Formats: sequence, structure tokens, C-alpha cells
Amino acid sequence: MPHKSTKPAGTDIRAFFGPGQSAQSSSSSRSKTSSGQVSSSKSAAPSSGTKHEVIEIDSDEELSAHKKIGQKKPSPMPKSKSQPSSKTDSDTRQPSKSTGKSFKRKKNTVLLSSDDEDETPPPKKKTAVATSSSVNPRPRPSTIKDDSDFDPMDVDDRDFPPTNSVKSTSKKTATPKVDKSDSKVKQSQDKTQDVAQGAKKSNWAAKLARGGPSAPGSKEVPDGEPDCLAGLSFVFTGELSSFSREEATDIAKRFGGRVVGQPSSKTNYVVLGEDAGPAKLRAIEKHGLKTLDEDAFLNLIATRKGPGVNGKGLDEKTRKKMEKEQEAIKSAAQEMDKREREAAKQVRTSEGHTNAKSTDPSAQLWTTRYAPQSLKEICGNKAQVEKLEQWLKDWSQSLKANFKKPGKNGMNMYRAVLISGSPGIGKTTSAHLCAKLAGFTPIELNASDTRSKKLVENGMNINNTSLDGYITGRSANHISGVTLTDRTCLIMDEVDGMSAGDRGGVGALNALIKKTKIPIICIANDRNAQKLKPLMGTTFNLTFQKPQATTIRSRILSIVYKEKMKIPANVVDQLISGAQSDIRQVLNMLSTWKLSNDSMSFDESKDLTKMNEKYAILSPFDITTKMLGPYLFSKTSRETLGQKMDYYFQDHSFIPLFIQENYLKSQPAKIRDLDGPEKILTQLKLMDEAASSISDADLVDNMIHGPEQHWSLMPLHAVCSTVRPASCVYGAGAHYGGPNSLSFPQWLGQNSKQNKLSRQLGDVQTHIRLKVSADKPEIRQSYIPALHPYIVQPLVDEGTSAIADVIQTMDEYYLSREDWDTIVELGVDSRKDDLILKKIPTAVKTSFTRKYNSSDHPIPFHKAQDLGKAPKKLAAEAVPDLEEAFDLDEVVEEASDDERNEKDTDIDNDKLIKAPKKKGIVKAASAKTANAKATKGKK
Amino acid sequence: MSLWVDQYRPRLLDALHYHRDLSSRLKSLAACGDFPHMLFYGPSGAGKKTRITCTLRELFGPGVEKLKIDQRIFLSPSKRKLEVNIVQSNYHIEITPSEAGNYDRLVIQELLKEIAQTQQVDLNAKQRFKVVIINEADSLSRDAQAALRRTMEKYMSNMRIILCANSTSRLIAPIKSRCLLIRVAAPNRKEMQDVLEHVSRRAGFDLPTEAADKIIDDSNGNLRKAILCLEALKMQSPDLTGPLTIAKPDWETYCQKVADLIISEQSPARVMEVRQKFYELLSHCIPPTVILKTVADRVVERVDETIKADVMHWAAVYEVRMRIGSKKIYHLEAWVVKVMSLYKHFFYDMDLSGFD
Repeated sequence: MPHKSTKPAGTDIRAFFGPGQSAQSSSSSRSKTSSGQVSSSKSAAPSSGTKHEVIEIDSDEELSAHKKIGQKKPSPMPKSKSQPSSKTDSDTRQPSKSTGKSFKRKKNTVLLSSDDEDETPPPKKKTAVATSSSVNPRPRPSTIKDDSDFDPMDVDDRDFPPTNSVKSTSKKTATPKVDKSDSKVKQSQDKTQDVAQGAKKSNWAAKLARGGPSAPGSKEVPDGEPDCLAGLSFVFTGELSSFSREEATDIAKRFGGRVVGQPSSKTNYVVLGEDAGPAKLRAIEKHGLKTLDEDAFLNLIATRKGPGVNGKGLDEKTRKKMEKEQEAIKSAAQEMDKREREAAKQVRTSEGHTNAKSTDPSAQLWTTRYAPQSLKEICGNKAQVEKLEQWLKDWSQSLKANFKKPGKNGMNMYRAVLISGSPGIGKTTSAHLCAKLAGFTPIELNASDTRSKKLVENGMNINNTSLDGYITGRSANHISGVTLTDRTCLIMDEVDGMSAGDRGGVGALNALIKKTKIPIICIANDRNAQKLKPLMGTTFNLTFQKPQATTIRSRILSIVYKEKMKIPANVVDQLISGAQSDIRQVLNMLSTWKLSNDSMSFDESKDLTKMNEKYAILSPFDITTKMLGPYLFSKTSRETLGQKMDYYFQDHSFIPLFIQENYLKSQPAKIRDLDGPEKILTQLKLMDEAASSISDADLVDNMIHGPEQHWSLMPLHAVCSTVRPASCVYGAGAHYGGPNSLSFPQWLGQNSKQNKLSRQLGDVQTHIRLKVSADKPEIRQSYIPALHPYIVQPLVDEGTSAIADVIQTMDEYYLSREDWDTIVELGVDSRKDDLILKKIPTAVKTSFTRKYNSSDHPIPFHKAQDLGKAPKKLAAEAVPDLEEAFDLDEVVEEASDDERNEKDTDIDNDKLIKAPKKKGIVKAASAKTANAKATKGKK
Repeated sequence: MSLWVDQYRPRLLDALHYHRDLSSRLKSLAACGDFPHMLFYGPSGAGKKTRITCTLRELFGPGVEKLKIDQRIFLSPSKRKLEVNIVQSNYHIEITPSEAGNYDRLVIQELLKEIAQTQQVDLNAKQRFKVVIINEADSLSRDAQAALRRTMEKYMSNMRIILCANSTSRLIAPIKSRCLLIRVAAPNRKEMQDVLEHVSRRAGFDLPTEAADKIIDDSNGNLRKAILCLEALKMQSPDLTGPLTIAKPDWETYCQKVADLIISEQSPARVMEVRQKFYELLSHCIPPTVILKTVADRVVERVDETIKADVMHWAAVYEVRMRIGSKKIYHLEAWVVKVMSLYKHFFYDMDLSGFD
């Protein structure tokens, strides 16, 4: 597996800096060089960068040359490595506007470059231009090796004046603007090295020509200005050659860009990778959007001017918008400040009087301190909150109307509301706030209170039987220190947390809801929990959605402002999306962060969310899509083996089954570039590899779940059953819907079918055991095909007239009517049960059943109830519905002699004798005759 | 009426048609008082069970033919109910412990102790011991076999055990050493022809030699199959002359269809189709090893000489894996993919060395 060899190297580097930083940290190398040695170039660049002019490019060669320079900018850096310690020291001491974060990473940079040199071999380079067909070698700038490989082509650069980036809608790729002085310095250095190591170049070129694979991490993220992409929206489609999708969107976001899923007319740029989705391409065409390839995208970052301190670089509209936002944030922060001061004052004044409950806001958790105080401040779920408020406002009328009038939302029929939604999105806060604003006193009972049936009943005095109030002299109607009045609202928080200790709590709550005279708000995370079934009918369901990042952002930003922290909007966005819109978590993260730092960079926010990541459980379908999909194993994927194995451990019994069921449904990415026979052969080989790995996995599974119980082999099973097969056949194709849609593992159904039929076959074997000595497989393989012409075929060929013969043969072999069904069911191919049963007319079938049931049949058999006890009775013949009906055609076997002597008193208890039950099937007429016979017999 | 196999089954050792020296040895064993534990083994359809019943009859007289079936319920440690059917006469008891699956040890322990601890009550019985016949002894789990070891010695006075198996390879050595091993080989052509002629004489017709040859060819040493085949053939064309085609059982034709599918196309879609068919066969109680063998036979028939050996090699590899593993379909499928890949590579005349 070629990708495996490259991946660990990439991982190691990242591990060095913590996840997700490799690109960024190496790019920061540039910031160092530019801030230090070539600061003049930096300052010069923006001035020329403002005018974007399109230049025509004649040949690919020139193009690549330009590109090289663009990427090559920081090449002097490795030189400084000769005395890294002193360099870094001087750098860190240097006052720089890029604050503390860049200092931190500078140290890393030095380490990285040396690290890179050791661990990433030269071939890990990348063809530069994705859109153009020619292969342009473009070495990696941050390593010494690359510098040494530098092309003489660079000399050509001098002919070109510093150009601005070329942004084109068609195939033209952009060239970065390059400062002349910078390139000059670099080139002179490069040249000397070039001469020295010219021999190595050819070697490198040869390697490139051989493979030229897309290599992860082969491109540097340019050190653009902060927020240089602000106000732009991007759509990514297809697979970029050096970044995974996630990384690419991160880059865009880091520089303040907005990343959306689908292209629309408002999209500024579409970044096209390999195998772009056709739907997106159509949309691009339709809206006439600008497209960028990977390099052009990077160049855009490198060249675009950021908004600066006061948003000069942006157009009027965006700036206005930003200003407005800033204004709103400031005013909100001021509001908060004011409120806090008031509260503090209150504390101070109340201190003298009583021991009031209100505390100093600065001592509170941020979540309580910045809890919304008005409906306006609640983030997201506006409609739901409004509904809730309306319902509370209408409560007294609804009560008067005895909950007959539905009201505007249809809510007024309900005495209770069930709010559901994921944690941290403001369910409890909204409930409290709405209750307060509607003039109710909220009483909250949550999982910390015991809420068993008894306590709920007694506490709420549902049955109104308690005289406690009179006897103890205090009101019985009070819970948790709050007196119940008609202006009280009960909030039952975390109702899905009513567990073992709260036996019957939900039932009691439901009873309470049915007759309550105060509004009850129940809050749960999962509305569909089995436990909450009783509440479904009695409560109005309000589902809170996770709010969009944009709705939370301003609120968080104002809090951040208020706390005098410096965190840009894109970082906040990252925090929010990382916490999956859990406002509480974001606030907690920020408050913790505040203890040590006042600002946060994009990467820090990423780490922070990663640390606080909620462990999301995926469904087996999602995992299978992910495993077999084109991204998890692609070269740009950053997931380690351990992370891939974690998918298996999400559901270790199910995932292997899913993989086995679906591994043939993808179009393997590994054969994408092949053609003709080679493609077919490689595909078969990959399938073979996957299938034999799955076969290995079964052996491992047997070691784990067999008698030996080697549970320590679970990771091996993970690899054999899931990771390795997926690594062979991953690729596009296996998705929901379509001809190759993922399906649920057949194995489960087929296995239970096998067990069922095997059990039935076992019954047949026992029944014919007295005649036939064969074992089960032998009966299936020889006897059933042999018996078929005698007991099934005649019914097909001759119909009703054959019934008597068939029954006789069956009796000969002690076969029951159910056994006949089994024999038919066990047929395959031309004797498949569906085909056979279709051929037998319904009339024949019913008359067969009737005739079989109307006669009695030998049963070689009796059943004991328990081990150790002597068998209670020996059932002889199955008698249809009465014992006396012996005068019918009785077939008595000599083998069952002794059984016949036994009195079959309790036939009804005998499970095996089904005859009486069969009467239901038989028509009423036959039942009548049977009854007549019975009476006759009795006489 | 019964099928001929059952109708004309010999009931006495003297009436057996082949392995006469074996019959006489069994007879003398039954005559002397010291009857050992025995292990009958041989391929199916060779006449193991028939010989066992004949021996029993020799031991106890016609009373052993009065059979009844008893269903016992055992409780597993996890309180699951296990139903086991027991065929018994007054003198012997016959069990198939593999019915209880993983709990066969329990069945062996409980049942054998129960039988061993009760003396023969019938004073008229010829022997002082009862006989326990254990069918499908080669599918007994190791635990169950271990449970058998001590019991076989301890209760020798009350009980003899007759094990019946297809091969001894899965039986542990201590068991084998405690038994008298009796191999019942498959009959040879001559012997089969004798039996077939005997059956047709009893049924009242003459069997032409060509028909007999054809049946013998087809049945592959399985006499049960041969007689069933004879009957089917007789039913098909009563005079048994002219060109005869022996109808294959449903599952066999189905397996051949699968083999044809493998040969005719090699693609993921085809593998999934084959998987479906395998599921069908498996769920209809065709043992996976039989499926693999039948399909492989057919595939080998149809492929080129050069890859025949490889196909069989991989069939053997995956059969072993199938026996060790639990999800048979995985191994069947792996074999199919392997064969497809082999076939395709051969088809494009590619280098096959990568497959070793």
C-alpha cells in the first residue's frame, strides 16, 4: 500500500506540533523571514498588490517559473538554520505586531525544517499545476533539499517584473506577485547551491517523472494577511492534490473566508480539485462563477490584501456591514456591563440588609453571568421560543376553556410542553426566561432531585389526600422552597434522565400533566427515547435545533469584547462549529482560556475544540460510507491508523458485517487511472485482497468469540475486518440510493433463516428417524430430493387425486403436515418453494390440508417436559380432535406398539400435536362433520 | 410405501451383502460376553448404521427394533432450553449430541450418567449392559469428547458406547484408544452392483447392466444414493433401457449454475450475485463444504488445464478456513474472488506468480 508509507511521515510531523498545524506552522516560517530580513519586501508588496491586472501567459514553462518564485519566497530561511538558536532568540525579542502566537510558532519552524529534512524524502513533491496537463516540478520551499534542487529556470524571473496575481475564470492560473529584491537575494543564494548540487537534480526529476503522485503537505500555505479573504465566499469541490478537504476549508476560514457547501450566484470563488462534482460544475456554469485551482487559491491568499486595521481593503458594503456588526457587539457588551454594574450595586446595597442570594457577577460562571436576560438575547430557535411564550401567556385562558381551544399554534390544547434538543443550545434558559417573562415563577426539578412516582405524587399532591399542610402548620403545596400558586410554572428538566431511582416517575409525571392547573415544561435531549413514550400524547412537542454559528457568533463576540479578549470572528466561528453549536461549551472553553490568555489564534481554537470534542456516535451506515468512501484513505487524508480503527470500535459487532456486505459496491480509487484489462485485473486483485482479509478476520473473530476468548485480538480484528478491506477498495460509488446503494448486512437475516430451516430439518430428521438412518445433511442432500417425487410432485401433476397416495407415503415416514411444508421450503433452484407452491392450485392445497387433518397419523414421538423426570405420557397417534375417532383410516406402526398402549389423556398439552389447532384453517363445513363424527363416536 | 432404501434394508448381519469378514467378526464379538466400546467410521452411505443395528439385533434379539423417540429438554447453564431427541428401545439408546450445538457436553454428561447409573431391569435381556449409540461423533466438541473419556471407563459394567462417525480425524486420541475401531469402507463397484441387483430383484424387475453402471458411476460409492437413484430412475423410465439421464438433486444443479456464473463473468456485480446464491444454498441447509466441493469440481471441469491445480489449491485452503472460522460465507466468497482473479489473469495471459 503506497499511501501507507507516506502517511506516517506526515503524521509524525504533525504530532510534533499538535494536530492540524503542519501547514500553518511551516508557513509561518515566511512570516519570520519577512518580518526579519526582508521586511522591506513585505511592505512593498501590498502597494503593488492592490491593482489586479491580468497578464497573458504564453507557455507553461513561464507559468511554472512564476509559481516557483511565489512559493520560493522564504527560501533564505534554511540558511539561518546554521545557527538556529541565536536566530530564534533575536526574532523573539523583536517586537512584532503579529503578537504572541507567531512567536510561539517560530520556534517550531526551525524544528520543522530540520524535521522535514529528516523525514520527508525528496520524492515527496508534487506536480504543481492541477489544471494544466504538463508536469511542473515545484520543490518544497522549506527544506534545504528543495533549495538545492532549485532550477536554473529561476533566472528567467528577472525578465519579468513583479507581477500581480492573475485571477482568471478559465484555465489561467495565477502567478504570485514577487518582490524583486526578495527574489534577487534568494536567487543568488540558490544559484550557488545549485551549482554545488546540480547532480542531484536529475535524480529528483527522474523520480518525479516516475510517480508524480499527489502528495499531502507538498504545498505551503502562503502567509497571507490576516483576514485577507474576508467577505469572500468559497465552495470547494473535488479533491485537492495536497490538502484534504477539511484542511482546505480550514485555510479559507483561517483567512476570514466563508466556506459554503453549494455554489450559488453569491459565491465568489469555486476551488476546483480533481474529480469535481458534476452538479457543482453545472452550477458554476450557470452562475458564471470564478474558479480557482489549488495553486491559484493559495496565491489568492498570498496576494490578496486584508482589510487592514479599519477595513480599508474591503468594498463599501462589506465594510459597512462589519462596522455595523462591531457597533452591535459594542453596544451589547456595554449593555452587559451596565447590567453587571447594577447587579453589583444591588449586592452592595443588599449586603447591609439581608443575606441576599444575589452574588457578585464576577464570581459567577460565564454561563450564568451572560445568560440571556431577554428573549431577544436568546440565540436561535426564535420561533420555538415565541411559541413557548405565547403558550404561557395564553395559559389562563386555556385553563378557563378547559384546553378545548387549540389557539394559534394548536398548543393551547396541551397542559405541558416537551422541549427537546441537543445539550447547550439554551433549552433550560429559554424555559426559565419565558416563564419569568410571562409572569410565572419557575420551579425547576432536575435530575438532581429524586423524582420517583411516590415523590412526584406526594410532592405535587396529585391525589390531594395529604393533610400534611394542616398538621404541620405549613403549606403542603410547596416544592423546593417555592410555594405553589396559580402563577407557578413547573420545569421538569432532564426528564429523560429519570432513571432507575425514579421508578415510575415518568408515569406519575404523565398523570400529573393530565390534571395540572399550572403549566409544565418538560425538557429532554432525546424526544424519541423509549422512556418518554408516555409523554408523547400529552405534551406539545417543541424541538430546538442547533443554532447556526452566525446566530451565536455576535453574542459570543460581544462577550469576548466585554471580557476584553482579542479573538477574531473566524476563530469564534471555529469554536462554535467545533463545539457543534453548544453555546455552553463555547462559553466554558472561553472562560477557561481567559485564565491564561487574552487572545486566540485560529489554530489554538482548533486545538481547543479538539480537546473538548464531544464523542459523536455515528451510525453503521455513516461509518461504512466513510470507510468505503473516497476520502478516508486518499492521499490527502490525515487520519491515522488508530483513528481508522476507532470507527470499527464504534460498533465492533456491526461494522465488519457492513463492510463485508458493501465492500464490492465502490469504484476503487486505486484503479481510477487505469484502463482496459489492467483495470479489470487490478480491480479483481484488490477485491481478492479485501476478500481474503475478510476471511482472515473471520478466523480472528473465532479466536475472540470462540472458546479461547482472546479479546486482546480485537485491534487485529479491526484491521483485518474493516480497515484493510476498506483500504483496498475505497472509492466513490457506495452511497445511499442508486443501484449500488449501501445495504444492511444480509448475513443476519440469512443466518437466522439458516438456523430456522436447520431446526425444521432437524424435526424432519427426528420424525423419519425410525425409518431412515441418515444424518441431517444426508437427509437434505439425498432424501429430500428422493422424497420430492413422492410427496410433492404428485400434487403438482395430478392435483387432488394424488392426495391419498401422498398422505400414505407421508405416514409411512411419520411426516407431519409441517414437515411437508419444510420439505417444500428446503428446495432450491427449480424446486424452490415459491415455484412449487405456485404450481399447486390453491384448491388442491386446501383439500390436502383438510384431508390430512381429518385423518389421524402415526407419530413416533413424545415429548418430556423436563430432564430427570420420567416422561409423563407417551403420546401415540395424533388424533384430530377427539380420542374416539379411531374408526377412521388408522395406520398403526409396529414400532409404536407400546406407545399405543399409553393413554393419551392430555393431548392438548402436547405441543407436537397440532391437529386440533388446524381446525381453524379447515372450513366450517368440515369442522361440522368432524363434530358430527365426534358425537357419533361418543355414542 | 417406503422408499426402497428403507424397505430392503438388511436387518441381520448374515443378510449383509459386502464386508462379510467384518460381519463375521461383529457376530463373534456379539456372541462372546466381552463386548467392547466401538467406533464405526466410514463415508456416508457405506452402511455404518445398518451394521450397527444388525449388531444390536445380534446382541439383544428382535426387541431392539421396537424403537421410540423421546424428546428430552436440557437446561443450559444460562437457562436456555435445549431439546434433544433420543431414539431408544429397551436395550439401547441413540443420541445425536450435535443437535445441542455448543452444549453437547451437557447432554453427554447428563444423559450418559443417567443411563450408566441405572442397571438393566429387564431380566430376560441377553446382556447386562445397555448400548449407547452416539451419532455424528466427529462433530462432538472437544469438551464433549473429554466428558466422554472417563465415563467410558467408569461405567463399563452398565453400558457400552458405539460411536458413529464419518472420519476419525476430529476425534481425540483418548477416545480412539478406548474403542475398537471398525472401518466400514464404501462398497466397490462389484459390491454395489450386487446390492442393486438384489434390490431390483426384490422389487420385481431386472436391472440392465448399463443402467447399473450409470448409477454406480453417479453415486460415487454412496450406496444410499445409488438405491435412491435407482428408484428415481425406475420411476422416470420404467423399462430402464435407452439413454438414461440421472436427474441431479436440486442443490447440485444449483451449485453448478453458480460455477457457471463464476466462469462466465468476473466482476464485483457477479460476485454479489454469487454471494446471493451461496446464501440461498447455505440457508437451505446445504453444508458449506459440500457447496465448495461441488462448485469447485464444476469450475475445474470448465477451466483450462493450467489453472486447475490453483483452483483446487485455493478451494482446499478456504475449506480449512471455513472449518476453523464461523461465518462460512466469507470464505466461500473469498474463494470465488480468488478464482475469478486467477481466471481473469489467465484469460489475459498474465503472470500468475503473484498468487503463491
